[in-house]
Amino acid sequence: MTALVDSPATTGGSNALGSTPKADIAKSDGGNGGRLLKFALANLRRRPEQFVLSTLGIALAITAVVVVRTISIGFAGSGTASLGDVLHGAPLWVVPSQGVHYDAELGVLLPAGPAPRLVVPDGWTAQRTIAGIWAPPAGRVAVYGRPDIAGGRAVVGAAAAKVLGVRAGSRLAIGGVSLTVAVEGSSRIVSVATPVAMNVVGDSSWLTVRQPASLAGRLDLGKLLSRATGIPSSTDPAVKPAASGLIYDTVGGGGSLTFQQRYSALFAGKVTGSVLGMVSTVGLLLGFVIAVTSFLASVQERRREFGIMASIGLADEVLYFFLVESAVVFVIAYLAAAALAGIAVLTLVPDVASVSAWLQACGMAAAYVPAMAIIGALVPVHRLLQQRPVALLAEST
Amino acid sequence: MIRRGFSYGLLSTRRRAHALLLPILTTATGAFLVVQVFSLTGSVKKQATTLGNKDEIFRATLLIAVVVLLVGVVEVAVCSTRTINQRTREIGLLGATGVPRSPVVSALMVEPLVAAAAGAVVGSVLAITVDSMLAAIGASSTSPQLGPTALGTTLAIAISIASAAITSILPSWRAASRPPIHSLSHGG
Repeated sequence: MTALVDSPATTGGSNALGSTPKADIAKSDGGNGGRLLKFALANLRRRPEQFVLSTLGIALAITAVVVVRTISIGFAGSGTASLGDVLHGAPLWVVPSQGVHYDAELGVLLPAGPAPRLVVPDGWTAQRTIAGIWAPPAGRVAVYGRPDIAGGRAVVGAAAAKVLGVRAGSRLAIGGVSLTVAVEGSSRIVSVATPVAMNVVGDSSWLTVRQPASLAGRLDLGKLLSRATGIPSSTDPAVKPAASGLIYDTVGGGGSLTFQQRYSALFAGKVTGSVLGMVSTVGLLLGFVIAVTSFLASVQERRREFGIMASIGLADEVLYFFLVESAVVFVIAYLAAAALAGIAVLTLVPDVASVSAWLQACGMAAAYVPAMAIIGALVPVHRLLQQRPVALLAEST
Repeated sequence: MIRRGFSYGLLSTRRRAHALLLPILTTATGAFLVVQVFSLTGSVKKQATTLGNKDEIFRATLLIAVVVLLVGVVEVAVCSTRTINQRTREIGLLGATGVPRSPVVSALMVEPLVAAAAGAVVGSVLAITVDSMLAAIGASSTSPQLGPTALGTTLAIAISIASAAITSILPSWRAASRPPIHSLSHGG
């Protein structure tokens, strides 16, 4: 580390290879890591334009990725929430042959036809949920008809209450009857007794099935019910229903992901697989190209400096210098990108993005920033280390 | 004088054309995406509809495409700062022989402006060609619309040139303002 000890960069000088009294360096704390960092910062200060440009390029690229990830996580969250509204803790979900679809505007799942006829074995309980869209003049909401809701009540989600302009305890006229409103949850769903729902939205429905107590904890409930009823079962939410319908087994199945996680992954995949995801991937690639080219340029300019270091036996240290410089650039770019992306999503897509989705997206981006920083520094330095110190000193740039 | 600066810049840009390939490529990639998003507004919006919050998602897609274009243009600026560093001695020589600052700055600005404009034009032309080819063989569900395509192309070219100018003017100005003796003794 002789070169570092003699380098004024550690004291923040503008010329890294000048001479400075050693006494100053003795004050520098933080050991070699601290000195490396100071050296890197001094070098970055020497080339403010390149530093600003490469940081800007990488920051913009990471911003694009964080924005797309935030949106995709936002959707994954809405997917999980909509599934929670359907299942209410039941392990099995029997859907009609026409399948179910997600209404993006309402953020709810809706069946596309009547649920299959199902005679459950003794001890099992099946509950039919009628579901459809109700569009009074106030706005569109989803209506779920559940047998566990008493005739005179309407359980309204907060978003639905806002659309319909009702409060807890007020009356809601739906399907020719007047119901007492209870506000529960945050969804845009009005849950009413089955006959009321049938009057309003017809017979589109699905079934949720619970196992007998003796089978609690079993992971093959879908298969058991499938054997008893002849309706195929699946633990994969991507499988489409057959002509006789389909049993989605939400607790069984191998793998480390739960049904809910795979279901939300389907939603997130829709975003990352769309034009949005493709464009952001291209952006990240371009950002990486900028990182590598700007480091290459910096290596090229400092050949003589590295020649001197290599000739006094500091060949490997050159790699550390670059790794630290690259790390500083990437960390600053990452922080700027996180802030930029936060502002972008909260102003552009406030309905989809939430602060927690943004934080998760930042975490995801943080996972590959170190890899990018290391590769971005290694590629140019590798070329440098291939050459003999004499060759580096001979050719001045 | 400034016109002479431009012609001088053009000559040196021609000499260094090979160094401009990468910035042209990155800008073209960004411009390609912006024009694609605009010309296929219909299908992008359709995709956004299946995701819900149609307008928000479309806005986000546009924003991301423009951000990617900016990333591409940053490469132009990286390249032009590298060029300026390599030409420090030449800039010093120009200063020492009495050439004022503005023609030197305009000579230095030619390279980034040409790279950005060429990249944006190449990317836009490529996007329009790909769109019309896809529409001709029926591979695209919605045919590209003339209005949005023209808007996208204009925007891509304008954003590229403007951002290349903004990011390159400061380093060019600084290099041209340095005392000639400094540039001659430090430059390579």
